[in-house]
Amino acid sequence: MHGKLLLSGKPKVTPENLGEAIQQAIEIEIATIPVYLYTYYTINRTPDQAALIKSITASLQKAKYKSLDIESKALEYATRIQVYANKAGAVIMSVAIEEMLHMSLSSNLKQALVGMPELTGKSPNSWPAYLPGHVPEFPISRAPYSKDTLKTFLKIESPTKIPENNLKVEKAIDYTTIGKFYEMIVKCIKDNKFSYNKKAPQLVPGRGYYANNNVDTLYYDKHHKPHFTNADDSGDLIHIVNDETALRAIKMICDQGEGHKAATPLNKDGSVNCKKPTAQDYDDKEHKELSHFEKFAQLYCELEELEFKFKEAGLSDPLSYFVYNTATNPMNADFPDVIKKVSKLLNAVYSYIFLMSEDCYRKDENTQYEIFMFGIHKSMIWILNNLCQAMTALNYIGPDGKAYVAAATFEEIQFSADSSPKSQVIAMFNEAADAYSSIAYLKDRIHDLPDVSIEPYLASPKRTSLFA
Amino acid sequence: MKSILYFAADSNGCGGGPAPTSPSNVQNPTIELHICMGLNACKGHDRFGTNACAGTGYCATAQAHNCHTMNNCRNQGGCGLFGDAEEQNFPGENNCAWQGSCAVPIQAERFGTEGPNQGKSVWMLARKRFEERMKKARRNVGKSPFECGPPTAWLSKMQGSAFGSCGSSGSPSCSFGYNDKAKSAQELCDKSKSK
Repeated sequence: MHGKLLLSGKPKVTPENLGEAIQQAIEIEIATIPVYLYTYYTINRTPDQAALIKSITASLQKAKYKSLDIESKALEYATRIQVYANKAGAVIMSVAIEEMLHMSLSSNLKQALVGMPELTGKSPNSWPAYLPGHVPEFPISRAPYSKDTLKTFLKIESPTKIPENNLKVEKAIDYTTIGKFYEMIVKCIKDNKFSYNKKAPQLVPGRGYYANNNVDTLYYDKHHKPHFTNADDSGDLIHIVNDETALRAIKMICDQGEGHKAATPLNKDGSVNCKKPTAQDYDDKEHKELSHFEKFAQLYCELEELEFKFKEAGLSDPLSYFVYNTATNPMNADFPDVIKKVSKLLNAVYSYIFLMSEDCYRKDENTQYEIFMFGIHKSMIWILNNLCQAMTALNYIGPDGKAYVAAATFEEIQFSADSSPKSQVIAMFNEAADAYSSIAYLKDRIHDLPDVSIEPYLASPKRTSLFA
Repeated sequence: MKSILYFAADSNGCGGGPAPTSPSNVQNPTIELHICMGLNACKGHDRFGTNACAGTGYCATAQAHNCHTMNNCRNQGGCGLFGDAEEQNFPGENNCAWQGSCAVPIQAERFGTEGPNQGKSVWMLARKRFEERMKKARRNVGKSPFECGPPTAWLSKMQGSAFGSCGSSGSPSCSFGYNDKAKSAQELCDKSKSK
């Protein structure tokens, strides 16, 4: 939202602009989703151990390690990569699913206090993007996993204003935290008497919509014991019907993102604090789940240590063993024809997920359940996930003349009014599967999607993304 | 990297297990549909139609599938890996099509990811609930062919590439070189018995 002012230029949240403020909160949450998902899919979470050992052994031999040590050292370094790669993926996914939870909680808040949340047409459409409502801005890219990328994630989730001598990436200067933005909404709710719409559909607990953990939020340690990155009691959907539930939802969003009030921030010089997390850095009662900020800080510190160890042993950059060589901020237009067709389908599914999500706020009970479980859930776990994975098998030459692995661009498309969005997704699937048969097995899943109309979206005033 | 994991058919040391006999019983319309080894209520109600009594069948009569929301109908969904605590507390007891929480069949190494069964064997929970059901029905239950459910290696031998479950974190039956897969599977089984 380059240049766009917070709350239409007004310095605080009032009953008059509360709807606009909550919509901006929703769009802050939406903005983080493609950023985290993009980086997630640049990680090979399960790199092949035999190939790792072979490559590491060759490097150790070159570095003239004693031959007796090489076998055990190669196994040790390979395992460190395997555990770290899987952990990095698990942590990013654990944050991404909580951002989806936050989008839903903010949408519930808007539905209860103001009316329909707008979720379609709100994904950033130009990159780098800028978090809406944050003054001054800082650039956020869809970028492969790296320390610089983690620095950007730390900025997004920072519990305090980022130090002037900041993280030495791009041009971040000043920063107002997401928590501060929510504080303005909290103050407005506390200072005024609002009536809550208890009947309008919301995404509520008890219907199986949200789970803190799944197979993608866990990783295995060197002994192959599973570790879960989210705690069971860290969060859930909340049906917002009064001030208490509204404030509880906002507190959950802030605690999960930034940690509690006294959470460990960045050091004064902008470096990452790698000391052991304190109680304030956790977002759950039993201290099993770190805040998003602290999760990323831990990943950053571990990567720094890994880099040091690998350099010391004469090995390549650890990222080279498990991060795909993807471009930063690629666009669909960059791809050759076959990749473009798969990417177009992927973007259509991504867009359809937002259309279905918005429809969940128009439908209730069984219809909402079917849209969510058989539409959104299935699209995320099966269709989108598999298309993102399929992209990593494709290579191309980018506009800069360099070779890259393809990646999901997460560009939200505008469905035409000429036919149903689902039929357009099916048409794009047919075209993509004809061009790239490896995705043909997704046919039944695409056809199983619920048929959600675009008419309510078209009937509403023309929308613009805060990122436009 | 594939998100659908087709586990290698190497043995994980959980025991070889006798090979089932043919013919397949999957198309028999009169049998009860259930999701895994040792969860059959009646004689002849396993995948091959050869089991002698309740709880001794070799494999699921429900259609095999790879992931959450892909089951055909009531009581035909697997469990673990996806879904909320409520879903994961009741493996194979989903109410309707597409409401299962994970793949069918359930390999011995699969653990729950949410709720009280987090980190514990999904198959052991399914078997415990099955035995409780049989107790209410006043039926004797025989031993499962594998005490802890069908090991990944055995399922891969039986079903080949048709066996798999979804997710990107890797197979639950694995070793990086610092653990013994068979011991890990046995530990999961033992840990799950105490619940």
